[in-house]
Amino acid sequence: MTMKSRISRGLLATAAIAFSASTAFAADIFVIGGKPDDPFWSRVKKGAEDAGVVAQAQGGSVTWLGPQNYDNLGPDAAELIRQAIDQGADAIVGPDWVPEAMDPAFQAVVDAGIPLVIYNAGGIDAADRLGALNYVGAVDYKSGYAAGEYLGNAGHKNGACVNTLPGAANIEAFCSGFNAGVEATGGKGSVLQLPATSFGDATAVAQAVRAHLLQNPDIDALFAIGDADTNAAVSGIQQAGKTGQVHICGMNFNDSILANIQASTQDCAIDQQGYQQGFFAVSILNNFVNYGVTIPTREILTGPGVIDASNVELVIEGVKAGAR
Amino acid sequence: MSTQTSSAEGGFSIGGLIRRPETGSLIGFIVVYVFFASLGGAVFLGAPGWSSWLNIAAEVGIIALPVGLLMISGEFDMSVGSVVPASSMMAAVLSGHYGLPAVVGIAGGLGVGLLVGFINGLIVTRTTIPSLIATIGMMFAVMGMTLGLAVMVKGSTSVSYVPDAVTKALLGTFINGMFNVSIFWWLGFVVVFFFFLHLSPLGSWVFALGGDRDSARNAGIPTDKLTIGLFMTSGFCAAFVGIAQVMTYQAAQVAGGQSFIFNSIMCVVIGGVLLTGGAGSVIGIVLGTMTFAVVNQGIFFAALDPNIGSIIIGALLLAAVLSNDTFRALAMTYATKKK
Repeated sequence: MTMKSRISRGLLATAAIAFSASTAFAADIFVIGGKPDDPFWSRVKKGAEDAGVVAQAQGGSVTWLGPQNYDNLGPDAAELIRQAIDQGADAIVGPDWVPEAMDPAFQAVVDAGIPLVIYNAGGIDAADRLGALNYVGAVDYKSGYAAGEYLGNAGHKNGACVNTLPGAANIEAFCSGFNAGVEATGGKGSVLQLPATSFGDATAVAQAVRAHLLQNPDIDALFAIGDADTNAAVSGIQQAGKTGQVHICGMNFNDSILANIQASTQDCAIDQQGYQQGFFAVSILNNFVNYGVTIPTREILTGPGVIDASNVELVIEGVKAGAR
Repeated sequence: MSTQTSSAEGGFSIGGLIRRPETGSLIGFIVVYVFFASLGGAVFLGAPGWSSWLNIAAEVGIIALPVGLLMISGEFDMSVGSVVPASSMMAAVLSGHYGLPAVVGIAGGLGVGLLVGFINGLIVTRTTIPSLIATIGMMFAVMGMTLGLAVMVKGSTSVSYVPDAVTKALLGTFINGMFNVSIFWWLGFVVVFFFFLHLSPLGSWVFALGGDRDSARNAGIPTDKLTIGLFMTSGFCAAFVGIAQVMTYQAAQVAGGQSFIFNSIMCVVIGGVLLTGGAGSVIGIVLGTMTFAVVNQGIFFAALDPNIGSIIIGALLLAAVLSNDTFRALAMTYATKKK
């Protein structure tokens, strides 16, 4: 039994080698990403695997490499990149989370002549610097911009960005994007900065929003930088007695936010659409390895995706399927 | 310890008033309130202003009461910061995810708090680990378990739960659209804690514990049981706030709640509780909490840079400790002169 299966496996392997030698290259694509049980990354992984169905049909494969935890992110991820090279990857997808630690490993990928796509983090700058084919992902500034533009176009011209984490670069990018978006529609934007004592405390955020709205009755649009903050800000609007007068968009979403959009207590949620990141990064590489075709568009943006009353039902279906 | 128990019976006099340990806290509160009222204007003085800072005061106040009692007895509790999200997550998982009745979720959440407090108390009484370190360790352990539970059950860092109307009305509604029902819970807790610390015989045990633990034990006070009980009380109160938050905002987050650790300690210290234990009062803690909340919310009404709020709170903290020492010295000299 063992002998037999071993022989048959050997035969299969030989056949596979013969097969791949006679036809085009089958792409064995390695994807470096977050922990598979991380809710965001589980959607990215699903996208990569869905695109991998095509790769498999063409004789290739998709392998997910994620760290055990995020304690030592840069070096761990760099190690995963080198593992992918050692395992004979035909193409590699990776996020440039910590350029200092990861760039040398990405450089090794490019030096080995393996096609590379940067996704999720790093931006087109990282892709250009490293000589990668492309960048697939969202840009924080543009996420904020989308929210500002959405609310501004709906006629809400006096916006405030609720910044619960002043000083963090990505949050500052959300807020400056939001203000630019509101201003692009002819409105004006400001930032409500919360003190450090209120971070992570829903009541503190709600009360701050409420006080700010009472003191500045002209404000009719808000942007919150995360799903928890959005829920708190919605409560702040209600307590200020301004439901229906002050409109709000927020980054990311969860079940209660989708319910709020259905109930019209929230106008929109901005999603960076992780599923798309995995799906397109793998597809680009699979097609490149198999057929040499490229996507000349540089910087494939997967976000911002706007969720509002018009598409919320579809999003809820997507959540059930594990893609959103 | 003897200073504030004896002064309560002395009848009214200016000297007696100054010797009250709450006097410093009361002056602090009045100064801060007048300052922000002059900047915040009519909105801050009216119902929206009051409800705004009372909502903040209620939540941190419910936690500050037991944290203050622990501090009077000479212990710290850092684990409250992770009990808040742990209990709200437990309630949301039980009642939201599994659809069990709200009572089960509430009992589960409060159970988490009591259990964490019990373990804290055991560690502190059975080992020589200082409560500061023991409860910091507990805080991280509970934080990790909350994250683990949420990811295991829901695969997500937030679990939502829409409570039924009665539960929502009792724990998470806004009266008149402004005043969070937790303000009334806070008042209830204040009454219970006041009775416990200042009227029941158990209260003097708490002061004795903070004054001198060994003498207290020799005097026949069950110090271990008392300490464990106090830790369980703080776990319970933190869990209560966690549950009130999930009922109010209809979603439980893994993170969050950490701000309660330092905020509750600040309220207690501004309220005149001695860091080394043995002195303090419930009225002082309430005044400290109100002062903290007025500064926190007044900032937004006064249209000042919120960072200034943090500076004011920091300065208040230092002023409180300094004035406590001054008032204590005053009390000592006054008492000796009288003799």
